[in-house]
Amino acid sequence: MSLTTPGRSRALTATVLALVLGVSTACGDDGPGTSAGGSIKIGLLASLSGTYQAVGTEIRDGFQLYLDTHDGKLGGRQVDLVVADEGNGAQTAVPAATKLLKQDRVSALTGIVGGGSVAGVTPLLNETKVPLVGSNGRPELKDVSRVWHTSYLSDEPGAAIAQHVRDNVKGSVYAIGPDYQGGWDELRGFTDAFGKIGGKLANADGKTTFTPFPATTNFTPYFARIKASGAAAVYTFYAGSAAVDFVKQYAQSEIKDIPLYAAGFLTEGGVLNAQGEAARDIYSVLNYSPDLDNAENRAFVAAWKAKHDGSPTTYALASYDAAAVLDRAIGAAGSDPTPEAINAAIGQLGQIASPRGTWQFSTATHSPVQKWYLRQVRQDGRALSNTVVGDLATVGR
Amino acid sequence: MIAVAAGTNRIDPYLIPALDGVAYGLLVFVAASGLVFCFGVANILNLAHGTLYAIGGYTAAALLDGGWASLALALTVGVLAAAAAGVLLAGLLTPIATGNHLTQALLTFGVALAGGSLLVAGFGPDDPQVRVPAALDGSVAVAGHRYAAYRLVFIVVAALIAAALYLVVRRTRAGMLVRAAVGDPEMVACLGVSPARIRAGVLAAAGALAGAAGVLGAPIIGPGTDTADTVLLLSLVVVVLGGLGSMAGTLLAALAIGEIQTLGVALLPSAAPFLLFAAMAAVLAVRARGLAARWRTT
Repeated sequence: MSLTTPGRSRALTATVLALVLGVSTACGDDGPGTSAGGSIKIGLLASLSGTYQAVGTEIRDGFQLYLDTHDGKLGGRQVDLVVADEGNGAQTAVPAATKLLKQDRVSALTGIVGGGSVAGVTPLLNETKVPLVGSNGRPELKDVSRVWHTSYLSDEPGAAIAQHVRDNVKGSVYAIGPDYQGGWDELRGFTDAFGKIGGKLANADGKTTFTPFPATTNFTPYFARIKASGAAAVYTFYAGSAAVDFVKQYAQSEIKDIPLYAAGFLTEGGVLNAQGEAARDIYSVLNYSPDLDNAENRAFVAAWKAKHDGSPTTYALASYDAAAVLDRAIGAAGSDPTPEAINAAIGQLGQIASPRGTWQFSTATHSPVQKWYLRQVRQDGRALSNTVVGDLATVGR
Repeated sequence: MIAVAAGTNRIDPYLIPALDGVAYGLLVFVAASGLVFCFGVANILNLAHGTLYAIGGYTAAALLDGGWASLALALTVGVLAAAAAGVLLAGLLTPIATGNHLTQALLTFGVALAGGSLLVAGFGPDDPQVRVPAALDGSVAVAGHRYAAYRLVFIVVAALIAAALYLVVRRTRAGMLVRAAVGDPEMVACLGVSPARIRAGVLAAAGALAGAAGVLGAPIIGPGTDTADTVLLLSLVVVVLGGLGSMAGTLLAALAIGEIQTLGVALLPSAAPFLLFAAMAAVLAVRARGLAARWRTT
């Protein structure tokens, strides 16, 4: 291991020097994420490229909107927001989260679009003892001690709308959805709750029809089966381009007059513009709608519209609420808001006022106990928009 | 209602999927015929064929605005752009001996990857939406059922393209030259026609066909990041199922794919993910020499 050449020794000296300097600056911080100036470092991880770019952008903008309307402060501390790109899934999300947690040493993590990304990042949270206040994807997790979500569990939309469909549809209901984990959860939520209250599925074998995902772009064969089943209504969940294909083809199919009920993502955000007239009259269930009538929502929508075209989505709302949760938790964590203290404070928040209405964290799942709304795609000025037509169940466990 | 649908007529529920299978099958035919044409006639294995279709699809998404003029414009631009891409491919393939399929496959596959990235860079990673002419953006009654108007018209247009293609290959001087170039390239060269020009012509024609399919088929197999792969795969399945022996074989194979993907899915939804490839495996097992014959033997 002797250093024989001057060149090598000089290089080594430089490296050692750089390391020492690096370590000494790192030690200059008061602790992870906080510094002497009363500021705090928050990491935001969202898909800013790839398939979920639209959702990721909404999540970033929702969080930023809360900061902009609160002097850039959370819990009275100036926020240093570090944004990283989640990409398409865990493969890109885990390295990005590792950088935020270990190099930037953020005090809390937020965002994360994909359920798979959350599952991949969770072990890192326990290793670094930093809490995640997620604003979208929420997979089945065994250990939620440091995981909180302001969004929902995938089976909740279906569970929330089941009673309404049972009361308003005279006949059996055809259940159809995409063949992947998200689709299974969304449809199971509906069919389980619907079956428990005596609802009957029109599907041939009494089981949900799952279409290959993402390979299915032509739904005509499935519509023929729905027609033949004699269903009085259809319940579905699709998102992204599959939602556009499904809705456009449905409107031109022979079952276009059968009422369509869906988890809200079928007509949420950008896909509604792409669907256009084809989406008119579709009923959907979601935990938020931009036309909800409460003071928080009016302020939120006005602030959003001042900066963006169009109305905020549930994705932006969830991220805005994640910032609100962190705001209160950091404020409650005392003079030294360590990641552990913030995590403990989140558990003590109780009721949270939000544009979606008041909600609180479930102690078991760390996701919201919240009210769900029935919406219908209707004309709103020049554009079609999801309009609230009623309250549905309050769901959470 | 249920009793009527199920009791009086067992075929009735499957009419629309069967009709849709024809639309889908004809689209696959127009899209795949370029690949079969290149492979069977010019002996060029073009794995960038799906990308040529995607060029047409993205052109349609970018230019269509719900009017007829935009459809004509998109068709012109899409066909020209895809044909130009075909000529570019022919230029790249010039140094490679005809019939050296492995080298051709590697080169065109590389072009497909690069082309796919360029399309994503140019048009974004999302699947763009395609607006068909407003007059066709509805549904019409077919034997007591509703069916998308655009697809019904597409069936007619695609059938016309297929007929025109047949006439060009069988009855025109260009078609004869191409068939002759495969039968005896030296003799054709002696007649003063450069084989390189014929190769460029064949690839341009294949590109034009794929581009036309891409524009007209965009509302059915829409442009997106995986469109090129889907179309290439379907085209290769057409080659396997229909062989290179005849246009009729190609047409039958394409229609079979269409029906498997629609009628087959309606009949056996649980088998939907693998129905197509099960059919392909069955054909391969029964008729392994499907690849041996060439289009020229018609």
